Amino acid sequence: MISILTKKELREVLRSGQFRIAGLIVILLTAIAVFISTGYYRSVQQQHYQAQNNERNVWESQDDKNPHNAAHYGTYAFKPKYPLSLIDQGVDKFVGISIFLEAHKRNEAQYMAAADQTGLARFGELTPDFILLFIIPLLVILIGHDAFTKERERGTINLIKSQGVSMRLLAFGKWLGVFIPIAIITVFVFLLAGVLLSSLGDFGQFSWNALLVMMLIYLAYYAIFACISIIVSCLARNSGIALVGLLAFWIVSCLAVPKAATNIAETNYPYPTKQAFDEAVALDKSKGLDGHDPWSEAAKQLEEETLKAYNVSTLEELPFNYDGFRMQKGEEHEAEIYFKHYRQLKEVHSAQTSVYRKLTVLSPYLPVRFLSMSLARTDYNTHWHFSDAAEKYRIQLQKALNDDFAQNSQYGNWAYKADKSFWAEIPEFSYEPPSFNEVLGENQKNIAVLSGWLVLAFAGLFISTKKL
Amino acid sequence: MLHAQNLSKEYDSNLALNCLNLSVEAGDIYCLLGANGAGKSTTINLFLNFIKPTSGTAIIDQMDVSQEPLKTKERIAYIPENLNLYGELTGLENLEYFVGLSGKKYDDGTLAEYLKEAGLQANVYKQRVKSYSKGMRQKVGIAIALAKKAKALLLDEPTSGLDPKASNEFSELLVKLSNQGVATLMATHDLFRAKETGTDIGIMKAGVLVEELSAEDINHSDLEKLYLAHMN
Repeated sequence: MISILTKKELREVLRSGQFRIAGLIVILLTAIAVFISTGYYRSVQQQHYQAQNNERNVWESQDDKNPHNAAHYGTYAFKPKYPLSLIDQGVDKFVGISIFLEAHKRNEAQYMAAADQTGLARFGELTPDFILLFIIPLLVILIGHDAFTKERERGTINLIKSQGVSMRLLAFGKWLGVFIPIAIITVFVFLLAGVLLSSLGDFGQFSWNALLVMMLIYLAYYAIFACISIIVSCLARNSGIALVGLLAFWIVSCLAVPKAATNIAETNYPYPTKQAFDEAVALDKSKGLDGHDPWSEAAKQLEEETLKAYNVSTLEELPFNYDGFRMQKGEEHEAEIYFKHYRQLKEVHSAQTSVYRKLTVLSPYLPVRFLSMSLARTDYNTHWHFSDAAEKYRIQLQKALNDDFAQNSQYGNWAYKADKSFWAEIPEFSYEPPSFNEVLGENQKNIAVLSGWLVLAFAGLFISTKKL
Repeated sequence: MLHAQNLSKEYDSNLALNCLNLSVEAGDIYCLLGANGAGKSTTINLFLNFIKPTSGTAIIDQMDVSQEPLKTKERIAYIPENLNLYGELTGLENLEYFVGLSGKKYDDGTLAEYLKEAGLQANVYKQRVKSYSKGMRQKVGIAIALAKKAKALLLDEPTSGLDPKASNEFSELLVKLSNQGVATLMATHDLFRAKETGTDIGIMKAGVLVEELSAEDINHSDLEKLYLAHMN
């Protein structure tokens, strides 16, 4: 029975000029978006590799110098791009791509891609995620809005009912008639992306699992839209009203709720301004040890404690260069301060995320958006993860440099220079993003909400058939 | 085969059908005559379970349609005044779909046989239905009834708007089905066709079956007089 219902719906959909034109437009837009994204991705990836290699060369090419001078000379941590960012660019363009790693200071990521664009970029870009999240749901609405209203308008509904078919089966057949063409387009797009990504060697580590899960998430999204389209068509008096109702739902769920969520989150849980943040960090730093200031109260206290611990009366008697030791202690104090203030920023981020999560019950767009970005490693969580990894590397780097200074020179010998071979001994920054399982674990709530939407949408679909 | 037992339907305290009792046995063609709003379509819709009776029972093949809506529909075929099919599908595909909904599955050859039996020209089977005339669409409706092996036909003014030739062809098909034992309940305004095709005639007025007679027992002229007498 289902095959008969579905076959007829598919025949009608595929023969309708409406679907053929709209489908062709979507496929063309997708092809253009994938083409543009591929070009952008390859270019960024190439720049990333070049910058990373150049920076390492610069680091290793330093002459003999004092390790603390090298610490101030600094280096960069570059954020890699990941294969699925070709599909969902997420917030990548709005967060920096590299972090300058230097002594005493945790820096923000810099060089946002969006900063290199003109004001026209404000109008948005044609990207695969834009098509997947906004355009294909419109195609679903276009196909599904008149699923039942058309039957009523042309009078075929009574003929159908007179055949003794269950209305639930009929509704499910209509759902399949809407969903299958959309699923074919979606599977085609993801398969194409998969083949393209896996065939390009310089695209980093590519995971078919992540791509498959991302595809399933989008299919669930379209399944929900297909259910809602059929429900509205079942309840509406005519096709015009059904279309207007569904477009209103699209506007609310895809545009209004996400923007309202941003406003609510930012109003209730604002980030401190850059100035306020820097001032708070500076204030906390001033209360503790500054490695460069041996006359401060904190430095004097450290000196006394160190002398006592090593049971010596002068700094010269210590088995290491106290200047290097103090520098390291200063670094550790500053690292704690940055840890504290960044943890506060993360708490604000978590609070804002919880607002979004609460609003996911109003829009299937939100859980899909978050899941998609997470799987593409283009969400804020991945950015925080990268930022923390860079900070961890910075702390290790500073320790290695200060330890060298402390272990290989005498107190007061600021003329000490580490051999240039030492720079190559410092391991290169390498970053591993959250694993596939970690991403899924972090997104359990989003998966649960999306599943809830799916279950409710199907329940609504079957309940609405009572109106027929 | 079709029985109405004290069947009534009320809409907002307006009695559309008042205690109707009628029987249509296998092979009968029962024609319901009456002005607009007399209750003819309400009767058909009650047998189809499209609406629920206020009281009484509509029975198809010994089953109450309210209790067994799906099973009773397996036994009937319905042709409304305007049999609208799917314009983007061919006659064959429309037949395949509607017959499939009733749980029957045939190959294209068998479906074509049913279309042929219903009087449709072979060259239009694979044409999209949007190019069909009303008469051709009604023939697809008959083909659905044939393929479905319906025991009863419920027809709501099926010849309205058909030209005399098409109307005559349609009547011939009804007689053919009647000879095969199919019970037919037809709401119509066409007195001539009712007399020519029907075995039984019922005249309805304001929801009441005011006259019931055998088509054989009355001529065209008397039927018209009787009808008009009830309408005045």
